[in-house]
Amino acid sequence: MALTYRALALLLTYPSADLKTLGRDAMAAIREEGLLPGTIERSLNRLVDHLMASDLYDLQEAYVQLFDRTRSLSLNLYEHVHGESRDRGPAMVALLELYRGKGLELSANELPDYLPVFLEFLSTLPDAEASSLLGEAAHVLEAMSERLKKRDSRYRSVFAALACLAGDAADQEALAALLQEPDIDPDDLEALDKIWEETVVTFGPEETGCPKADAMLRTMNAEPMAPRRAPAAGGLSL
Amino acid sequence: MSHTLDRLAFFTRKTQLFSDGHGVLTNDDRSWEEAYRNRWRHDKIVRSTHGVNCTGSCSWKIYVKGGIVTWETQQTDYPRTRPELPNHEPRGCARGASYSWYLYSANRVKYPLIRSRLVRQWRKARATLSPVAAWASIQNDPAKRDDYVAMRGSGGFIRATWDEVTEIIAAANAYTIKTWGPDRIFGFSPIPAMSMVSYAAGARYLQLIGGVCGSFYDWYCDLPPASPQTWGEQTDVAESADWFNSSFLILWGSNVPQTRTPDAHFYTEARYRGAKSVVICPDYSEASKFSDLWLAVKQGTDAALGMAFGHVILKEFHVDRQVPYFRDYLRKYSDLPMLVRLVPQDGAYVPERLLRAAEFDKALGETNNPDWKTVAIDEKTGKVVVPNGSIGFRWGEDGKWNLEEKSGRGRDTVLRLGLKGAHDEIAAVRFPYFGGAATNGFAVTDHPEVLVRNVPVKRMKLPEGEVLVACVYDLFLANYGVDQGFGGDHMPASYDEVEPYSPAWAEAITTVPKDQIIAVARGFAGNAEKTNGKSMVIIGAAMNHWFHMDMNYRAAINMLVMCGCVGQSGGGWSHYVGQEKLRPQTGWAPLAFATDWIRPPRQQNSTSFFYAHSDQWRYETVEMSEILSPTAPEGVWDGAMIDFNAKAERLGWLPSAPALRTNPLEVVKAADAAGVDARDYTLQQLKSGDLKLSCMDPDDPANWPRNMFIWRSNLLGSSGKGHEYFLKHLLGAQNGVQGKDLGETGGQKPKEVAWRDEAPEGKLDLLVTLDFRMSTTAVYSDIVLPTATWYEKNDLNTSDMHPFIHPLGAAVDPAWESKSDWEIFKAIAKTFSAVAPEVLGVERDVVLTPIQHDSAAELAQPFDVRDWSKGECEAVPGKTMPQITIVERDYPNTYKRFTALGPLLSKAGNGGKGLNWKTDHEVDLLRALNGEVLDEGQTLGMPRIDTDIDACETILMLAPETNGEVAVRAWGALEKQTGREHVHLASPKEDEKIRFRDLVAQPRKIISSPTWSGIESEHVCYTAGYTNVHELIPWRTLTGRQQLYQDHLWMRAFGEALCVYRPPIDLKTTHVRCHKPNGQTEIVLNFITPHQKWGIHSTYSDNLMMLTLNRGGPVVWLSETDAARAGIVDNDWIEVFNVNGALTARAVVSQRIREGTTFMYHAQEKIVNTPGSQITGKRGGIHNSVTRTVLKPTHMIGGYAQLAYGFNYYGTVGSNRDEFVVVRKMTKVDWLEETLNVKDFAQ
Repeated sequence: MALTYRALALLLTYPSADLKTLGRDAMAAIREEGLLPGTIERSLNRLVDHLMASDLYDLQEAYVQLFDRTRSLSLNLYEHVHGESRDRGPAMVALLELYRGKGLELSANELPDYLPVFLEFLSTLPDAEASSLLGEAAHVLEAMSERLKKRDSRYRSVFAALACLAGDAADQEALAALLQEPDIDPDDLEALDKIWEETVVTFGPEETGCPKADAMLRTMNAEPMAPRRAPAAGGLSL
Repeated sequence: MSHTLDRLAFFTRKTQLFSDGHGVLTNDDRSWEEAYRNRWRHDKIVRSTHGVNCTGSCSWKIYVKGGIVTWETQQTDYPRTRPELPNHEPRGCARGASYSWYLYSANRVKYPLIRSRLVRQWRKARATLSPVAAWASIQNDPAKRDDYVAMRGSGGFIRATWDEVTEIIAAANAYTIKTWGPDRIFGFSPIPAMSMVSYAAGARYLQLIGGVCGSFYDWYCDLPPASPQTWGEQTDVAESADWFNSSFLILWGSNVPQTRTPDAHFYTEARYRGAKSVVICPDYSEASKFSDLWLAVKQGTDAALGMAFGHVILKEFHVDRQVPYFRDYLRKYSDLPMLVRLVPQDGAYVPERLLRAAEFDKALGETNNPDWKTVAIDEKTGKVVVPNGSIGFRWGEDGKWNLEEKSGRGRDTVLRLGLKGAHDEIAAVRFPYFGGAATNGFAVTDHPEVLVRNVPVKRMKLPEGEVLVACVYDLFLANYGVDQGFGGDHMPASYDEVEPYSPAWAEAITTVPKDQIIAVARGFAGNAEKTNGKSMVIIGAAMNHWFHMDMNYRAAINMLVMCGCVGQSGGGWSHYVGQEKLRPQTGWAPLAFATDWIRPPRQQNSTSFFYAHSDQWRYETVEMSEILSPTAPEGVWDGAMIDFNAKAERLGWLPSAPALRTNPLEVVKAADAAGVDARDYTLQQLKSGDLKLSCMDPDDPANWPRNMFIWRSNLLGSSGKGHEYFLKHLLGAQNGVQGKDLGETGGQKPKEVAWRDEAPEGKLDLLVTLDFRMSTTAVYSDIVLPTATWYEKNDLNTSDMHPFIHPLGAAVDPAWESKSDWEIFKAIAKTFSAVAPEVLGVERDVVLTPIQHDSAAELAQPFDVRDWSKGECEAVPGKTMPQITIVERDYPNTYKRFTALGPLLSKAGNGGKGLNWKTDHEVDLLRALNGEVLDEGQTLGMPRIDTDIDACETILMLAPETNGEVAVRAWGALEKQTGREHVHLASPKEDEKIRFRDLVAQPRKIISSPTWSGIESEHVCYTAGYTNVHELIPWRTLTGRQQLYQDHLWMRAFGEALCVYRPPIDLKTTHVRCHKPNGQTEIVLNFITPHQKWGIHSTYSDNLMMLTLNRGGPVVWLSETDAARAGIVDNDWIEVFNVNGALTARAVVSQRIREGTTFMYHAQEKIVNTPGSQITGKRGGIHNSVTRTVLKPTHMIGGYAQLAYGFNYYGTVGSNRDEFVVVRKMTKVDWLEETLNVKDFAQ
């Protein structure tokens, strides 16, 4: 059972006046457990210093802008996995059941897939189990890390730390797929437009034909693929 | 795990067969089926529906597992209809089906948000000061106020706790009440029928503290003023099932399959049944595909088409040949037999007002309200009679307000239709003609502006002298250019002559071939003749959103009345624009407007309010001379639009918010100090001019609205006509206003309303929005409160499209920190009660209300228009000016009052639409049902209204539509007025009481009530006007009949006494063309904003699934020819602009669009995908960025029977289709980073 998870969860929560004191404690716990390499520890330290030193209102504004308003940085993991699909509800239900299976009842006003919730859950598990479960989300964490890097955000260090703690390296194929997804800064409207730009429709097969239909045909003709990862009983299904 | 290896690839197992080989027993692995089973495994299924502004009221099953909504599917258990009528199910549409996305989407507002600059100051001030003092310290320091006001729309939100935001709101409200007056607090929320309790929550709070509720139906331009003008009814329409009963349907400017998706099947079924269908719209819409004949009318010229239809019908079915059913109907149910005074003008005559009993010797024996009783000629005796049913009979006497063919003296009478054969002479009468001049390329014909046509008249000796009198019927025919043999100017001798209003004339204006016009008119009337009125017009926003919408509507209504269709099953008008039908209205009103505690409520017509307070009047381009009739009676008809509105406010026609320049609480205090009765004091001070009306100087800081609540609405992203003016003046935010105000252009300034050279910017101290998504409005607010979605609250929903009442059900608790609207306003009320005592106690307040329709006061100003403020008449509250009432507000007890049903219902009863009934029994039942208040204090022992379900039960218990006992009592109240028996309509259901849990089990059909003009029955579908025709209950108009002649002075002055064709007005906004060239061709097009397929009614346009189906951002449709002219190809970025502002969007180039028009679907969000405009240098706006509100004087009339004010019933409307825009291709797409970096800004 590693407090490091709980400490990282704390760093990802909405900045409050308390954070100013708790941030130091979190850092101390991380250092003590020593689960993270030095470089990452140092970058986390820089984040904590930043959180300590900055004006609280500025921190809160930045947090709201980053995590509340930017879809591609949502801290709700299933936003990245299921998006608006109907699988999202059942996935959240499965996750709740996983928590309950370990005797934990979600009492905060958050959804079960909220990353700090998940991290706090991991902090109650044996290290190996925690690390393996986190591994299932590795591609999401790494994708978010990349996006935060693009924004030059210090919060990136938390995701770097999580990637490090994860038992598995991120599935490169899944990561690539995620990174191909649009990264919509709520104010970066050019990017937003590109996503929704319509492709020109031409009729007929092959090159002149509808590319979507072609892709669809390819999938239909292909051998059924085995799922990327066998879902562990009560697992994350990521 | 893949199950591929569980199966044998090469072998088949030997299996056991049964049932003669029909069944096979196998051992194959079937665990894959679990996926499907899991999908259908739920903890519970909850019934709810979607309430943006959808008339569907479709029933949905919301699946919940582990406290999480997993998905939704259509419910299909609406009660079945009778045999031979298709069922309402299946319902639902793709928009509703994608709704659960919002619940957990990243778009959701999860926590209370507040502008960080505001909360920073608040906390600083609050550290040392009490709440109201803290708010005052920010407001009194311009630097502190500007610091956050200027940031509106530029990001910078942080989370806050509920305790903190409610305290800020409460303090702001208390400060505003104390400093400026309670009527500086304004609330806007539309369409209560969608979620009645949510609406009621905010309205109840506002009314308890003396705030103002803004109307929506008129502001949205969904109110067709022609309906109150003609029927004295806001809007009442047939349910969609009644389409099936029709055998001739005209779909006129309505896109049923797109915007009424769940009900469109009735149209299809009517077609299968053999109904003929004509669709009239300028574009090849979805609806066009329903038609046998599609009339591609030139946009904005529908009235011309309607006049030609009417011309053919009158000629062929009333003059050349007379259809007995039609004539009988006109005689009994229209004002056409009534007599009109003619007065000389320019060597001929003009029709004046309807002749009244009072003008005759001894008032023809009428002692009660003879000023308000119209007269006609009895066919048998040839004498003048006063037929029953006119509005004079409605008030002050019992038993004669009915449509029986009787005179006031009780004699049987058959009214004469037209004076031909009984006339004394022929008079030359002047009719205005507006089709000779038009702008923006609308077609004109070569005719004079006055057409003189001959009409048979009688000379009557009245006490005042000899008067020339005509019959409405003859004026009506002459106006249509239908000759009865008397001749006149430009009377068309045949359909082929281009003379008003022949089919050939209409072809010249509308481009619709005359043969098609003749065929449709004959088909429509011929069907009505064979079926006794089963011809129907389904009419939509495309007709109503024009400045001269009344002409479009009255042209269609006239056709229906000529053919006896209104009030008949399968016939009549069906105006489906907006959603007005709050079925249990009279049960809901006391809850919503707190009339259980305080009467009257403060209600404001939003159009005039926003016109004044977003300073759109400072940019007015339309002068009175442009809309005045050439036949206008002598008088002073100049002045600006806002002068007319201010006059209407002075005369008690329209409401005013705020009403007085002085804080009304201070007015009472001053009266007390002077030892004078507060009402008398107010009147004296107004007369002396010491007390000033706010409407005379809207830019005076003392007259600004200060706090605004917006809930259940996207005012700034969707309905805010003149968007950029809102941003500039009301909010003080970045804006794209392009034009200069009248001060800068040297235009004609108002004559009476004060002009200030410096226009105020940022009038509001605080803007609070409640929403579950970060809408355009939320982005501009100071505080955003996260509210519950439609799957997270208990509420009620009704529709005009079907007769059922449906619940919204809380499937799950509100996610994150959100709360239902009911709980939010309850919390604000609680904090307010705690905060208010700092500055407020029990206070007395002066409330000014306009003269109300459906009250005895509607008989206020029978003849001329006189202004007390100019000494033209005595100032009499409620008669020549607004009513003045002194009410008491107990501010510290606001919360207690919010959560208990107050004493006025037991004391004064309940009612609506001019009826009143006792309801103490229902109050007792509610006390037993909801429980009584147990806490000490003034509400001890009163029925509790604590939860949203308590609130639902209150509505259901009090309303006749959901409580049979009340229905019987309500019909009984009406019987007293009409002297006829009506209770039979409800008595079979007297024991029925619909409760909230009944609705949760299955939606219920409502009970027939006199609030509405149709009935719920097992024999006919609900249709408007049914009880007028079949129960002989008068329409609530001057004549008690369908009023086709509008005789009010202002109606005559502005040329709309009778229906005529009026071309769209010129808003003069496109002169900015080529001012800032970018090298591309700039073309001018008519800007049309219809409802879209991908996000209207049941969801919003930022729904990702819907965006994916469309193009993912704002689009504007263009015709191929226009696009080619401007060098635009499909998917190009284009800019659409005029003097009001600019917007950017992608072009959709389509054959569907008519040349000369451009379509931009309503309510595409600014927050989605909008680049900067090259014109403004700011982010492109929304569809309303290029619009501006323009008022119409005829909509301001009041104090005159059906033309008297009612909330959401009558008033100015926000039309916007006369707008023209410049369109050009953008050469550079610039995505502006609009969110200001707070730190950069601070440095």
